[in-house]
This record gives sequence, C-alpha cells and structure tokens, in this order.
Amino acid sequence: MRLRIASKLRKYEAVGVITVRHQLAYVTDFILRSLFLLLILYVFIQLWSAAYAGDTEAVIAGFTLQQIVWYLVFTESLTMASPRVAEKVEAEVKQGDIATRLLRPLSYIGYHLAAYLGEAALRFFVHLAVGSLIAWLFVGPPDFGLGLGALALLAPGSFIVAFLLLMTVALCAFWVEETRGLEFVLQKLKFTVGGMLLPLEMMPDWLQSICAWLPFQAVLYVPARMAVSYDAELLRTYLLIQWGWVAALGVVVMLMYRRGVSKLHVNGG
Amino acid sequence: MSMADNRPERAKPVAVWRLVLTCWKLNLAGAMEFRMSFLLTAGMMFVNNMIWLAFWGIFFTRFPVVNGWELQDVMLLWAISAGGFGWASMLFGNFTRVATMTAAGELDLYLAQPKPVLIHLLVSRMSLTAIGDFLFGLAIYAWVGDHSWLGAFRFGCGLLISGCLFLFFVLLANTLVFYIGQSEGLAFQVFNSFLALTTYPSDLFRGAARLLLFTVVPAGWISYMPIGLLRETAGFGFLLQALGMTLLLGTISIAAFYYGLRRYTSGNQIMMRS
Amino acid sequence: MNEALQVEGLTKHFRVKRKLPGLGGSLRALWRPSYEDKKAVDGIDLRVERGETVAFLGPNGAGKSTTIKMLTGILHPTSGQAHVLGYDPWRQRTALAYRIGAVFGQKSQLWYHLPPSDSFELMSRVYELDRAVYRQRRDLLIERFELGQYIDTPVRRLSLGERMRCEIAIAFLHRPELLFLDEPTIGLDAIVKQRIRELIAELNREEGTTVFLTSHDPGDIERLCRRAIVIDHGRVIVDEPVERLRRSVLSYKRVVVRLAEEPTELAALPGVETHREAPRVLRLMVDTAAVGMTEVLTELMARYRIEDMTMEDPPMDDVIRAIYQGNSELLEEGGA
Repeated sequence: MRLRIASKLRKYEAVGVITVRHQLAYVTDFILRSLFLLLILYVFIQLWSAAYAGDTEAVIAGFTLQQIVWYLVFTESLTMASPRVAEKVEAEVKQGDIATRLLRPLSYIGYHLAAYLGEAALRFFVHLAVGSLIAWLFVGPPDFGLGLGALALLAPGSFIVAFLLLMTVALCAFWVEETRGLEFVLQKLKFTVGGMLLPLEMMPDWLQSICAWLPFQAVLYVPARMAVSYDAELLRTYLLIQWGWVAALGVVVMLMYRRGVSKLHVNGG
Repeated sequence: MSMADNRPERAKPVAVWRLVLTCWKLNLAGAMEFRMSFLLTAGMMFVNNMIWLAFWGIFFTRFPVVNGWELQDVMLLWAISAGGFGWASMLFGNFTRVATMTAAGELDLYLAQPKPVLIHLLVSRMSLTAIGDFLFGLAIYAWVGDHSWLGAFRFGCGLLISGCLFLFFVLLANTLVFYIGQSEGLAFQVFNSFLALTTYPSDLFRGAARLLLFTVVPAGWISYMPIGLLRETAGFGFLLQALGMTLLLGTISIAAFYYGLRRYTSGNQIMMRS
Repeated sequence: MNEALQVEGLTKHFRVKRKLPGLGGSLRALWRPSYEDKKAVDGIDLRVERGETVAFLGPNGAGKSTTIKMLTGILHPTSGQAHVLGYDPWRQRTALAYRIGAVFGQKSQLWYHLPPSDSFELMSRVYELDRAVYRQRRDLLIERFELGQYIDTPVRRLSLGERMRCEIAIAFLHRPELLFLDEPTIGLDAIVKQRIRELIAELNREEGTTVFLTSHDPGDIERLCRRAIVIDHGRVIVDEPVERLRRSVLSYKRVVVRLAEEPTELAALPGVETHREAPRVLRLMVDTAAVGMTEVLTELMARYRIEDMTMEDPPMDDVIRAIYQGNSELLEEGGA
C-alpha cells in the first residue's frame, strides 16, 4: 500500500517537475508580455488622466478615474490572456488533420477548449498581478468589494465566449486560404465594441444599441464593468448574456465544424 | 569556361539595385498569385485599421484630451504610422523576421550568394497585410490630408521617415539575436511596443517618458508628426531633426547587423539550428 | 590553378552550454551557465582537383555541414587554412560566391509561390549574368533537366522530385566551377534519384564542374562519385576511391533477426559482427565480400529458431563505425 502511494507521489512529482521546467521556458515569454502590458496600461492611464483632466473626484458616465483605470486593468488582463489557439486550429484544418484525428466535433472542440481555459486562466492571473501593480501605483488599491467576486464569476463565461469567437474565425480555414485578416478584425471588434478601451456607457447612444446585440461585450466589458461597479441585479442579466452567447456560438461552431469536416471528406483534404 | 571569368570581386551597386528591383517584382507577382486571398488579407487589414480609427474618432470627439490636437491630427497620425509601416513591410518585408531567420539558419543561404546579405534578405519578402496598411494610410490622407503640393510633399516625407524609423529600429532590436540566444520573443515585443507607441499622440507624455520616446525608443518622432510636420503652419525644423534621427538610427542598426554577422560567421557559439 | 580545394588543418571549436540533469541543473544553467568545448572539426586536410566528383560522408554530427560551411565562407575556422578555387573563403567570400554553387537539400532556394522560371530569373540577377547568355543557358538546362512541363507551375504545386530537379538545375545556371550538394536526393524515389545522378554526372563531364556531394545514400556515392572522403568526430578517417570503398565497406549488409527464444550463445562467424540488440533480437553486420550471404543464413537457421528477419543496406552510421572500429586493413592501406 505504501509502495503504491510512494510511486504515485513520485509520478506526480515527476509530472510537476516537467511542468515547471516547461513553464521556465515560458517565463521569458511571460515577462515580455507583462512588460508590454505595463507599457499599454501606462499609455492608457496617461490618456484617461488627461480625459479626467486629473480630477480624481469627477464621475463620467458613472465611472471615477480610479474605476476606469482598474476597468482597463481587467479588460487588458482578460484580452491578453487569450492563447493563440486560432493558429493551431487553422494549421490542423489545413493539414486535414481534423478528419483523421477526432471525428466528433465535441471531442475536437472540447479538447481545444480545455487547453485554452487552462492556459488562459494562468495567463490571466499573471497579467492581473502585473497590471494591479501599475494601477495601484497610479490610482491606489481596488475598493470594489463584491465586484472582485463577480469578476471571478464572470471570467469563465468571458473565456469561453472569446474561445468560441476565435473558433468561428479559425474554422473559416475550411473555406478560405488565409484567416489572419479575419482574426485581426475580430480582435479589433473585441477592442472597440467589446469595450476594452471605452466602457459602453461612454459611447454614443447609437453605438451602444449596436453593441448590446453583439457578443463582444460579453468578453471584456461585462466582467470588467461588474468588477468596478457591483450590481446584483445586473449580475444576473450579465450571466444570462454570457451563457446565452455561449449557447448560440456553440451551435454555430458545431455546425461549421461538421460542414467543414464533411467538405474535407468529400474533397480529400 | 566559367561565366565568372570576368566577374567582379564585389557586387557593384547597379547589380545590387537590379537584384532589389527583381525581388520587388517577384514579390508582387507572388502576391498576385493568390488574388482572392491577397485581396481578402489586405482588405481585412484596411477594415481593421478603419474600425480602430473610427473608435479613436469617437474617443477623441468625446474627450478632446490632448491640447492642440484635433481629430484630424489623430487620423493623420494613424495614416503616417500605418502607411510608413506598410511600405517598409512591402519593400523590406523581412525586417521583422531577422531574428527568426537567423535562429533558423536561413542566413546561410544568403551568405553563400555574392550579394550583400542585409539588403538581399530584407527585400526577399513582401508582407501582404502591410499592403492594406499602406493603402489605408493613403486613403486617410486623401480624406483629411492637405492636398496641396506642399502638403503632399510633407506627407510624403512623413511616410518616408516613418517607414525608415520602423525599419531601422526593429532591425536593431532583431540584431540582438547575434548576442543573446532566444531573442526572437524579445525582438517581437520590442516591435509590438514600438508600433503601439507610434499611434498615440506624443503630447500625451511628459518628462522622462517623453525623453525616452524621442531617444531610446524613437516612436515619438512619428507620433509628433501631425503637429511638427503636417500642419500647414509647421516649419521644417522638426523635419530636419527627424531626418537626422533617421540617419543616425540607420547607421547604428546597419552597423549592428554587420558586426553581429561577423560574430555569427567567425564566432564559436552554436546559435544556428541549421 | 588545377586544384579546386586545398585544405590544411581545418579546425572548428564550439562552446556549447552544458545542461546538467535534473531541475536543479536547469535552474543553475539559467543562473550561471557552464560551457564545454566541442570540437566539431578537428584538423582536416584535403586536396581536390578540378573536375573530381567527391562524396563527403560521415554519420550525423561528424562535422560535415560545419566543414562545408567553412569551405563556402559562411563560417570561419578556429584554425587552419583553406583555398577554394584559389580563393580564401573567409576573406574573399563574395568573389568565391560567384564561382561556386550550393544546393542544401532541406533548405530551398526556390520561391515557394512562384514558378521556377521566376527563380531562374532571380538567380540570373544574383550572379549578374548577361541577358542573352542567361537565356541560352536557361533553355539548355530546362531541356537537359526536362523541366519544360512544369517550369511555369508554382513551386508549391510541384512534387519533391520535380522541385529537386529545379533546384539542381538552377545551381548550374551560372556555370559554377565547384558545386556543393548537401543531401540532394533525400526523400526521392529511385527513378528520380537515378536521373538526377545522371544529369549531374553529365554536366560534370561536359563542363568540368567539380562536385562535392554530401549524402547518406550509398547509391549516390556509387553511381556519381569517384572518390569518397569519410569524416567522423571531425577528422578524416577514410579518403579512398569509391571502388575501394565499395569493395571493403559498401558490401556490408545489415541483418536483424528476431528469435523464438533467447540465444544461449552468439554465433561467431567470420565476416560477421553480431550484437544483441534487444531480448531475442540480434543485429548482424555481414561483410558480403568476406562471406556469402547464403552461408550466413544457413548458419543462422541451423543455430536458432527464427521468427522474423529483415535484411537491408546498413545505415551510413553503421558503415562508418565499421570502418573506424574494425577495418584496419582499409586504414592501413592508405586511408587518412
């Protein structure tokens, strides 16, 4: 009995060691990305400080400067946490790997989702830690009480919607030669109508009504806004929005996958 | 015997120039090969930039934050940044990839040929997405730029300098590969950061940050152009200074490359995966 | 100037980071890396005359590509000298580059999305060929290498064999006096390989191009080259006409047998080297010049119960090892 435990422990230790060694290789990558994050946040803080004309008490569309800065930290952390799954999927589609590897859409998509979530969660925490440093430096500590808990609640939905959006673009590789252009557009839409830089409240009304119908707000705006300005009622609405989009996009992705794979079978990759 | 009997010992500038032209011609032909895909990619880039610009338009209309800057200036800033980066990536498309190429041993192919390594490898690729960026720059100029002869000249200078600054700075960052292994990630982030910094008005920054922006990370020279160069009221002082900076950066980056290349060929570090 | 290559004491040392085992080792390597000296090339002497066809062999890691890099001027040696076509490769790299050609089997010089004809044109600019001369030469090569059918098809749509034909044809475009070929037939099927060998041999005869070929393929060596230079651990261990090599080394065959039960003793047969590779598996290196295969097989079947058997040409590594370890005859008779 003891032997089995011992050997199991040793196995986990070995896995742990390998994982850590793997991560060490990623450490430089993390550091570099964190530096970029710091730079971007610094630029945005300058921008918004100018917008508030340095007035820390002013409230614009319901946000104080402090709230805006932390809002940015959250949206940036979420957006930079996204691993580059689209390239992987595109490559697999191009090579016709999908047809042979995994036949059921749930397995293939599910596999990538699991990998995505794992990596995204780790990256998110690292970015959050780094981003918090600079926000703390400029506008002081976060004071959002339940808001942070709500962030945790809304983060999974955010990741999954982001993942599904990426997948819809990546699976276009079944039909289109190059999806990189589409990825860029997706990213920009996330940044703009998704509320990365400008909370939806601050947009002109006509734009706000458009954004309300799009999935992008579920990724960045929804979790970040709830975090800096907690509202129980709204939380329920937000959860519905997120998971509603998960369902809708999930169906789209499945359909695309099935159609695409059958096309591969017909055309022979 | 060999056709090389009356061959020179070094490549003459005319011959190098002919090679460069041929590469550009072939790159364009290669892009045309994928007509649909090329249009889609370049077009998407154009759309991508438009979305971003529209957004900044909304932001700056709501918050006219930077003193002296108007919406038109912000738009022209984007035109210069995207346009400069665009042409540099079209004509010298490998400038962002020097570190990657070196680590993959691709330099050897160029070293085995009788042409100057740097220019040869730089012109051997044309970025398709960058065509979209370049066209975007021109489109914005057509929309809100100064269409007089002088205005066109100013914009042209701005594009030229912007592209050169991108080219030389990113090249310099890439030359780190000759000194530090594993520097592809670093070179990429430096490039990314530089690109980002060129798109925010330089007047946003003060003090030490501003100083850095005009020295160590010379993005400020690009991000000040709408005020310093493109305004009708601007003199040519800024232009001359920017030109000087460009020449300086060019000299440093090219020297760094060739010095690094000498290390690569004569050194005793295995950094090539060959 | 009758010599294509003249090399004396060529040496190249590298400093390689030493990776210590375990997690502690990896961390320590980040903090304070330790280096060890690796001799990739350890004193090579060579003399190759113009017009020769030389096979340059050796197991992986023997120093082949490092040597070729030094001869083309891409890499500078730690010590030693070389004259390639009369030029100093390190000080006169550009001048030399006009006169040599190189084909690296794994790295393509053709532009992927364009037809080979465009790459031809590009090379004509790289080597500054006169337009009329270039066109004539190109047409000749297209005809010889039978590229006419696909000269205008984008390279990405060509098969490997078609692509290699183009690569090699292009290498001859500027009439190089010396051609370095690094694994040019790797991955090709037998017919294509043979055709390419014939073409290279023809051009060698007609135009006097010296050929320096690196290959792991015994067929390349036998059919194309007259001389074989083998290096291992950075030193030349064999420098023989291929005729000699064929008789003494290329006649080896590798036989792998899986037995029904563990052998109690290993058969000792003359001309056969036996190794126990795995439980119940034996690997034999048979020198068919010294002993007939029938004899060997008869002996094996008499001694053991055999479940499975494969017979193949030995990989070059085995061949080299056989030379280095055992074949004193060959070494004494005038190898390096």
